[in-house]
This record gives sequence, structure tokens and C-alpha cells, in this order.
Amino acid sequence: MNLRENKMKKLITLFILVAFGFTVQAQEKGSVLIQNATVITVTNGDLEDTDVLIRDGIIEEIGKDLRAPRGVETVDASGKFVMPGIIDAHSHLNGVDINEARNPVTAEVTMEESVDPNEVGIYHALAGGATTIHLMHGSANVIGGQGETLKLRYGVSQEEMKFEDASRTIKFALGENPTRVHGQGNGVQPRTRMGVEQVVRGHFDEALDYKRKREAYLEAKAEFDRRGRGTPPVPVAKNLRYEVLNDIIEGEILVHCHSYRADEILMLMRVFNDYGVENYTFQHANEAFKVAPELAKNGAHTSVFSDWWAYKFEVYYSTAYNASILNANGVVNSINSDNDQLLRTLNHEAAKVVRYGNTSVNDALKMITLHPAIQLGIDDRVGSIEEGKDGDVVIWSGHPFDIYSKAEMTFVDGTKYFDLANDADDMRIHINPGTEFEDGSNFRRIVDNREEDACLQDTFILLGEQSAHNHN
Amino acid sequence: MARLYFEEINAVISAAKIIIRTGTMKKYIPLLVLFFVGMSFAGLQAQTTPAHALTNVTIHNADGSTTESATIVWRNGVIEAIGTNANIPFDAYEMDGGDSLHVYPGFIDGLAIWGSPDLPRSQDLPRLEEPGNPPYDRAGIQPERKPSEILKEDKAFEAAMKAGFTTAGLYPNGYMLPGQVEAFYLSNESEDVELLKESFGLAGSFDEAPGGWGSGAYPSTMMGVMAQFRQVMFDATALQQHMKYYAQNPEMPAPDRDQVLEALFPLVNQEKPLYFEVDQKEHIERLFKLQDEFGFDAVIVSGREAYAKADELKKRNIPVLANIDFTDIPEWYKKQKEAEESDKKEEDAPEEEISDEEQNYREKQLEAWKAEVTNIKKLMDANVSVGYASAGMELKDLSGKLEILLDEGGLSESDVVKLMTVNTANILGINKTHGSLEKGKNASFSVFNKVMSEEKAKVLHSISNGTIHEFEGK
Amino acid sequence: MKKLNIFVVIAALLFGLNATTEAQITEKPEFGKFAITGATIHTVTNGTIEGGVILIDGNEIEYVGNNAKITNEYTRIDASGKHVYPGFIDGWTSLGIVEISAVAVTVDNAELGDFNPHMYAFTAFNPHSASVPVTRVSGVTTVLSAPSSGIIAGKAAVMDLWGYSPDSMSVKKSGALVMELPSSTGGGWWDDRSEKEIKEEYQQEIDEINEFFEKARFYDRMVKAYEADPSGKTKPDFDPRMEAMREVLAGEVPIAIEVSREQEILDAIEWTKSHEGMEFFLVGAEEGWRVAEEIAEAGLPVLTTTLYTPSRDYDNYQRPYQNPGLMAEAGVKVAIVSDDTENSRNAPFEAGYAAAYGLGQEEAIKALTINPAEIFGVDDKIGSLEAGKQANLFISDGNPLQPMTKIEQVFIKGYKIPMDSRHIQLYEEFLDRDAVNK
Repeated sequence: MNLRENKMKKLITLFILVAFGFTVQAQEKGSVLIQNATVITVTNGDLEDTDVLIRDGIIEEIGKDLRAPRGVETVDASGKFVMPGIIDAHSHLNGVDINEARNPVTAEVTMEESVDPNEVGIYHALAGGATTIHLMHGSANVIGGQGETLKLRYGVSQEEMKFEDASRTIKFALGENPTRVHGQGNGVQPRTRMGVEQVVRGHFDEALDYKRKREAYLEAKAEFDRRGRGTPPVPVAKNLRYEVLNDIIEGEILVHCHSYRADEILMLMRVFNDYGVENYTFQHANEAFKVAPELAKNGAHTSVFSDWWAYKFEVYYSTAYNASILNANGVVNSINSDNDQLLRTLNHEAAKVVRYGNTSVNDALKMITLHPAIQLGIDDRVGSIEEGKDGDVVIWSGHPFDIYSKAEMTFVDGTKYFDLANDADDMRIHINPGTEFEDGSNFRRIVDNREEDACLQDTFILLGEQSAHNHN
Repeated sequence: MARLYFEEINAVISAAKIIIRTGTMKKYIPLLVLFFVGMSFAGLQAQTTPAHALTNVTIHNADGSTTESATIVWRNGVIEAIGTNANIPFDAYEMDGGDSLHVYPGFIDGLAIWGSPDLPRSQDLPRLEEPGNPPYDRAGIQPERKPSEILKEDKAFEAAMKAGFTTAGLYPNGYMLPGQVEAFYLSNESEDVELLKESFGLAGSFDEAPGGWGSGAYPSTMMGVMAQFRQVMFDATALQQHMKYYAQNPEMPAPDRDQVLEALFPLVNQEKPLYFEVDQKEHIERLFKLQDEFGFDAVIVSGREAYAKADELKKRNIPVLANIDFTDIPEWYKKQKEAEESDKKEEDAPEEEISDEEQNYREKQLEAWKAEVTNIKKLMDANVSVGYASAGMELKDLSGKLEILLDEGGLSESDVVKLMTVNTANILGINKTHGSLEKGKNASFSVFNKVMSEEKAKVLHSISNGTIHEFEGK
Repeated sequence: MKKLNIFVVIAALLFGLNATTEAQITEKPEFGKFAITGATIHTVTNGTIEGGVILIDGNEIEYVGNNAKITNEYTRIDASGKHVYPGFIDGWTSLGIVEISAVAVTVDNAELGDFNPHMYAFTAFNPHSASVPVTRVSGVTTVLSAPSSGIIAGKAAVMDLWGYSPDSMSVKKSGALVMELPSSTGGGWWDDRSEKEIKEEYQQEIDEINEFFEKARFYDRMVKAYEADPSGKTKPDFDPRMEAMREVLAGEVPIAIEVSREQEILDAIEWTKSHEGMEFFLVGAEEGWRVAEEIAEAGLPVLTTTLYTPSRDYDNYQRPYQNPGLMAEAGVKVAIVSDDTENSRNAPFEAGYAAAYGLGQEEAIKALTINPAEIFGVDDKIGSLEAGKQANLFISDGNPLQPMTKIEQVFIKGYKIPMDSRHIQLYEEFLDRDAVNK
């Protein structure tokens, strides 16, 4: 698919919206001059003793001895490291709901309409150096809901959190989760990996049929309305689900597919090749390393855990060296969290890629910056420190892979959203007045069991494990 | 209609006796007696209904002013005269309020679920074969339901009248599209609750399909409700188109008629507003999104956080039927207030020791609580049209919540009266007949024993559509 | 809450049977005499020795210092520029008793019943779990594998991660009695009990627990009295539960109490005060920093982690990282654990966060070595580099709390462990999968 074309369309839509009097609220864009840092550009090596000037939200200049324009605050970062804000290609951090788990295909739902901008975890993530997340639908359905890429502008509205012009994305899921939820749970297909393939193919075919009929109807209707005689066509209702499926086939939506086993990864690539779907990322993909050459050949991307394995059967025969193998085989890979805690420490998750398989430090850094940006279609805006890109940067006390390093300041669009030196304890912005200080219900669930991937979280209730239902 | 039967007559007499015995309200006796006589006549002579006149009462007008020693005259449910110089016709049964009674325009509940059939319990819903493709009712899509057709007996009607309500917008309790909105004259007998205005809106919410984990259905999430709302609107659009075509072109295949989709036509055609129950700021924003897509008029029901979107509500001309089912006052704040009130007597109340952390927590908690209870005030200040809706709140909680509204919500008694009368009438579009006491308007008002915000104030009689309902004896 | 998922059970039955759990390590370890030279030796209990020597003889450390004569009998390992640490102890894991947590038939950490002191993790510990090699090559040489269910789940075992039987791997069969006290506060949004109901239920459950301990004490007295002088007495019936409690009552096996919240911790402290003569430690204690002084005063050690989200939404984001440091500062003995199964090897990074946020490097290392050894009563065998102790150690190319550091060689009980695991084998097989065709 052509990303540029897609963006153009979005831009046109935006103009139309503006023309019709809708106000797109401007984000708060900041300016700052960060001086004397080691700048980890990701795309152009590490630059010692270098300044980064961000003006009105955009990185304007990278160089030595830059002068601060009038009124622009300076930050002395001598001895510190500046890196691009961390991007998490797989998060459920602030979803109102995660899984619309009542049908195996729910392409019509979108996490855009499930964003909770008040989640205090957004601040916690900023404190871990993250600036962008891909808020995803869960993995209960073969074709789940659409995702939403968010900038972690804590304190703004759900609308203002959206990463402007990011590509549209959608969640697919293969293997145990959809077969458990639908086949075992509801007694509807798919119950097997065979069924999963047919659910995808069947819905794509139905969507194509729909498109043909709908277009024919609209054409006949226009004709009838214009001529005012003859027999009018029987209306074909607009169908949101099929519209979205067609957008996938036409390459307007990036697919992010929850998957683990090598065979199911191959299956989906086969299906996508048949329907001409080109841009996609396999999420989790614990066995992607087994089919790294095929992934590379198809230009498929992967987004994996640094070292999670063995929590369920389909990840039993996997390895923490997955990311390094993929990287060595030329697959664009990112390291994701899928977990509110890991999101706080993604820098050290990426560091493990160096530990397991000797991937270079810079390549490992790409896995939490440039690569997720590519996978989300936002690499023209973020993912590296380059002039003209967004001022989403983090100042670290030391190298971000050092366990002793702390994020000291996190900027989004040049605006400082986290400052270790001015870090208050209680950072909630939405308070339920009915919750008392000691109230037990306020105790957040501590994420420490990996019996399930976090992305099945809403469906615990479907599976009768009420206690694991996370509602914070 | 109120016909007095023997038990009721006895009840009135015994009530009168109690009053005589306690000797607190001597002037009240004639009124009771006249009620009894007058109503007996009303029952006998249906053709030329005599008028009623209530004299020597204090009238609290919707604009906040009061008229003392006033008289109200009404006949056939319509106010004939009102004020200090009201002419009392010869055939009016005159009742003397004895200068001790207070008359308020009947309160209007903008949207209540009284009389709604009970919802089936989750565990009683059968498991669906295809949870992803449920029948409309199991998805919570029931826009065809009209309260006037399914209203059932409900003790809440009587309780509502005792609380000063004479009129209400009703909708069936349900989920995302539970049914239609209609206005009713209240009565203390469920079977006498009469339709005032038929189907003038559709009710909606972001509630997911019922059924819990065992027998739930699509849509089961907020985002699913959004998508499903759109889809039924598209389906209704197509059906309507088909019906239009077919009406002119009977040679084409006939449409499959569908009462559910057909009930949505007024919404598709932007002819009736969507009364949408929503509280959270973010949910209100989601409603705006649907409104932008489909262009319908909206009325926000409940709207606890509506203040956060006040400017946009104003801009969009969306009224709010506000809920006052506030979160309970924080326990510590309640104690603190009580201590402050008694401070003057006892200086040595022990000071509670709390950490800075908890102090900070409390400050934020109180701020959030105050934001909630001042919602209506802020909406009024922003010139948003705001009325009242119980939207599920139980009537037994009303007085306590009103007290909070007056003490902490920044509203005066006359603000509250206005909120619950003329403002709500405007939003429901029944302001030509309801919401204030004027000549020519509907005779719906409540007679209180004292000013409503005073302690032990209660409704003695409620007049709805001219019919007198008597509570003292019950 | 503890309802078994029927679907998981069915699924597990279906495919659990062919889930082989062999580690597939073909290379044999070396055993005998080793001399590790030139390394920076972190003894933990006796400071750091630069360029020192460690001699290993059989199962034991023979010598630690920088003045050893190395004869030809010793296999020399040049570790110049490297670091040697005592093998790390992950003090709280289900390693060995849970293979795949989502596959119920591979989950052996939760027996039915509320009072199971006679259930031994030792019994179900699978020496061939795929996680064993994966964990040990990361420098974690010993774990406390703990059951979890009911009120008394059973006994956790201190296990070395090398061997072909639980017997040969066991450092201490009864490492701790695992216990969970009831909660005196509400359980969360799904808990719709009233305050009164919660308190009543709490008291009821506490009474039940106390009664169990009372019975155990009675049994112990009775058996002791009989054993001291059986004449004229009827031999008491054998009770496996009560019997299993005797070593606990004697203070030989500590009781691990799982707690999270402030109130739970305070309740646990209160409870331990009414049960003298036994040893206790806390596990979890996510809100330990709120009551660090009280924990210290009660003399209770704590096993905890750092990588979780703050327990209350108004907590500072750093609290989980700071918690071990704040407790240690108050005088609590802290061990850092993984509280995980297959990722037991991440305990060092949990400790790394604790180190960075107040605990400090040295204490963080102790929290992975000598502290858990002392808490479980195995510090005579493991937990530091000292002559006479078990040769559990590893050589690394840097600070083992750093995620980029590589663990180069591991010794367990003197065995020079093959640095191989499923993860490494898969790496080697698939890094250049199609090399044969090139």
C-alpha cells in the first residue's frame, strides 16, 4: 500500500472537516534547547556534546553550541543522554474496553472510541521515557478492532491524544486466543487453526461481494434518481464491517496480527498474498524466528517480547533470541510491552536484545524507536532525532540501557510532560470522589502473572476468571 | 380520575381529626372539608365540570418570585385565573388555604423509568447460539418500545407525587436504544397515569448488550455500541429508502418491514431528538461524534460531567436533563462540617491526625466532589439549557440530594424550582402547558405545608391535570 | 477466584500429553577441580577481591582469595577482567512445578484443600523442565520453588538448578511453609461484601487458622510425650498434616506469608506476634514501604519484587522500585525475587531496579544471595563465595544486574554447567536457518 497516498487522503479529510466548521484543537507545542548531551539519533549514530533545538514542537536543529532563540528555555544535559521518545507498538494502557469479544470478526469497532485519557499509567509510561503507544484491541477475535496510535500527552482530551495522521491499523489474532474464546467459549468457528484461516478468507470474500453489490446499488440509485424513471434498485445498506475489511484489502489499514506459531504466521502471509495485502506486522510472534527468511521475503514486520515464553503452549518452543535472529535476517522488528509495567521499562527490555544474541546497541534501540514508528506508519514524524521530526525526546541520566539510568525529562512535541526534579506523588487527573483514601477497591492489580497475554484481558470474564478482570 | 370512595372520605375525615386534635393547623380544616365536597360533585357531574378555587396560599413562581395570599382557579385541568386578584367564578368550589400553604408548579421529571417493565436478570437470559449476531432485543436495540404501551404498575408514581412531581418524561428501562420518550400526567394510581405527549424522542445510552459472561451478546463494549449504533442507522436508512421506492414502484421486490428499524426513521430523518443517558466527559465527546455523523438533535440525560463540556453543549444547543444522584459526601468532610457547626459550643473537639499524603488525597477528592455537585450551577452559568431527570435515581434519595444541591451545589431554592419546572418543560417541549402557573396552563401543581426547603416540608396535595390527589390521610 | 477454567483443562488434556518437557541438553558438565583466576571476586560476605582466585574441589569451594597455589590437578579458567559472583537465588518462583501456566495438566503448584502443610514442592519438582537450563545459564543457580493455594499451600523447596532428581538438586526440602492469611479489607470492585461482613469473615478465617495451629501444637506435645516415654500410653494416630507442622513449630522451617497491602502486612505482623517460637517472613509486601518501621520492628524479613505498577493510583511512579530500598533502610532484611516461573532469570533485573532506586549495588546483590540464603536457613551452604560452601557461582563480563551483561560460565554444586538451553539451541538452529542451502 502507499502510505503517502493514505496520508494525503487523511489530509484532504481534515481540510473538509475544517471547511465545515469543525475545529481541530491545536496541540500544545513547546520549544526547548537541550545542550551538551550525548544525542542518540538512532539514524545517525550517537553525537557527543551536542545540542538539540526544538521549536514549536519540531526538532529544528541538531548541532554544537546552538543559541537559544528568545524566550526558549534551555536545559543543560552535560553528561546525559538524549534519545527519541520510546514507541510501544503494542499497548492496552488506557483502553476503556479492550476486547469486543462477542464475534470472531469485529473490524468495525475501533480503539479510537475506547481511549481513556485520564489513566495515570500514561504518566508512569512518560516517566519510563515512552512518548507514543499503539493502543490496540485485544486478541479475542480473528479480526479484532482497529487500533489507535496515541501520543502520551497526559492531561489532554481523548481527541488531542491522537497521533495526528498516523496510519490506520487493525488487530488480527491467530491461534489459541480466538479458538479458545469463540470455538471453546461460544461454540462458533473457529475452534482450530484451520478455522482461523477460513474466518479470514470467508470475511474477505464476503467483503468483496458486499463492495461489488454496494457499488452497483449506489450507481443504480444515482442513475434512477437522476432519470426519475425505471425501476429503482433494492437498497444495499452500508456495512461498516465490510467497509473496513475492504480498506484492509485495499491497503489503507496496517494489519497488526497477534500470532505465535510459525505455521500460523505462514498461513496469514499466504492469505495476504492471495488478497494482495502488503503491509503488516506480526505481534508477539514468538516463533517468527523459525520463519525469518519468509518474513523477510514478504516484507513482513514483527513486534515481539524481549523474553516472554512458556506461559502458554504456543510459546513453549520459543526463545529470547527471537529478536536477534529476526534482526540478523533483515526483518524490521520492534520490542513491545503489551503490559503497563513493561511499558515503563522498555529501554531495558530492548537492552536484553543485546544480551540475547549480540544485536548491536543501536539496532536494539531502533526496536523501541524507529522500527515501531515504521510499523505504525509514523516514521516520517518520530522514531529518531532528526531535524524536521517531532520534538518527542527523552533526557536520560545515563545510557538508556544502563539499569541505573533514569528518565529525567520527557518531551512530547517539545512540551515537557515529565520532569523527575518536579515529580509529584499523586498525578491523577480524574478522581472518583466516592473512593476513600484507604479504599481497597483502589488497589491496582499488580501485573505479575503471565498466564494470559494482557491482550486477552477483557475476556477473562468470558472464561470465568473474574478475579483477573482488570478494571483500574 | 379522582373519585372519592368511602375509605378515602373516611381517611380525609380522620386526617382532619388528627389535625384538630394536635391543634397545629386550625385553618386547614375548611380546606379538607371542601375538597371532600368538591370532589364528590366532580364525580357526579361530568358534563359541566365546576371549577376549583384554592385561596389564600403562597404561590412560588417558576421565576423565583412569590405571590402571597393568592388564589388559583382551574377547571377541566386548565388554570382559569391566578394571582391576588383572581376572579372566583360562581361555580367554583372554594378551598381556603388559610395563608399557611405553599403552592409550587408541579415538578417535572425530565426522564424517569417509572412504570417500566422489569429487565430480565442476566442469569435468566438463554445462551445465544450466535452471540455475535443476536436478535435486536438481546443487543439492547428496542427503539420500537413506547412507555404508553407497556407501562406497568409502579409504586414510584405515588412516591413521585408525594415528592412534588406532577409530570414526567418516561422511557422504558433498557440498554443502548431502550425505546421512545413520552410525557405523562402523573397520578398516584398507576392506571391513571395519562399520556400527555406521545413519542417525541428516542432514548439511548452506551450500555452494552445484557447477559454477563454466560449469555452476553454483541455489542459488549463501548466501542461495540458505537459501531452497532451506526450500523442500525445505516440499516434503517436502507430500509426507509427501500420503502420509499417500493411505495412508488410496486413492481420491485417488497421490503422486509421491520418495526425496530422503522422506529429509527425519525432519528435518521433528524425529526426527533435522541435522549442520551451519559455522564462521563469522554462519553459526551463520543456522543458528539455520533451527532456529527448523523445530525440528530440530542438531549443529554444524567450528564454528571456535562459541566466539563458546557461551552460545547451551548454551541451545539444540546440541553441537559441533569441527574442529582451525587456521590455521597466524603465521610471525613461530613464530619468536618458537623464539627465546624458544633465548634461554637465545644472548642475541645479532638483534631484528627492525618498524613500529608492523605491530606492531599482529601483535597483532590473534595475538589472532585464539589465539581460534581456544582455541575448544574456551572451549566446554568454557561447558559446551557438544563433541566432535571431522575434517570434511575430512587425517590427516597431525592430530599437528601436536593439538600446537597442547595448547600453545596450553589443553587438557591428558586433555582431548583426553575430547574425542575420551567426548564425541564422547555426541554421536553411541554412548556406551552407545563412548567409554570399561569392562566391557560395546565393545572399541575403541588401544595406544600411549608416552604419546600424547610425541614419537615411535605406535599399535602398534588394537583395533576386538574385532578386533586390527597396524601395527608395515607 | 480459584475456579479452574474448564476450557483450559480440556485444552490441556488434549495437547498437554504430547508436551515434552525434556531439556535436550546433550553436552555433559565437567566435574572435579577448577581454578578460576584473575577475576574480580564478589564474595558478598567478605568484600571484593580484585584479580583473585577461586578454587573448586568437587561440590565445594575450596578457597577464595588472591594468594593460592594452583597445582596441575586444577582445570584453569582464566577470568581476567571478568567478575565472579555467588550463584543467584531466586527466592520465590514456581519453577519446576509449573511448566506452562495456561496448560493445567502441567501446573503442579496448587493442590486442593485449604490446609496442606504436607504437600512438598520437592515432590513435584521436574528436574527436566525446559525452564531449568534457561534459568541457570542466566546466573540463577538456586530457586525457592513455592506452591500456592488455599491457606497453607504446602512447603516450598530450595532447589539447585542442576541434577537429575529432586533429591540431588535439593538444598533444603522444606524451605518454607507457604501461607496466605485472609484479608481484613475488601477485595476490589467485585467484592460487594459490607464492611461488617468483611470483618466477620476475616475473624472467622483467622480463628480457623489459629485452631489449626492449636491442633498442631497439641499433636506435637502429644507425640513428644509419647516418644519421651511410651510406657502405659496408646500410640497416637499418625496425622500427616500435623506431622508436617512439627518442623515448622520447632522453628526449623520458616512460614512464608503472602501479603501485598498495608493492612495485610499489619495484620500479618499482628498474627505472627500471637504465634511464638516460629520463624516467619513476608512475601510480596508491595506496600511494605508504608509500614517499613513496623516490619523492621517485628523482625520479619521480606521477599519482594520491583517490576510492577504502583499499587495505588495516587502512588509515586517510583514506589515499586524504591520499596526494597525503603524497607532495607528501616532495617528490614530484603530478598529480591522474580515471583515468576519461566522468567525466574529476570530476578537480577528486578534487583537492578531496587539498586538504582535506593537499595544500592551491594545490598541488591545481597538481596539475591546471602539474604535469601539466611531467610531459608541455607546460608551454611550457599549465598556467598566462601571456602566450604557449595560451589554455586557464575562468571560474568560485567555487573550482573545490567541487562546487557552476559553470563559466561555457571557452576552449580561444583559442576561446570554446559552453557546451553532451549533458547540457545533454537538460536543456533535458526540464526541462519537455510545456511545448508547457501
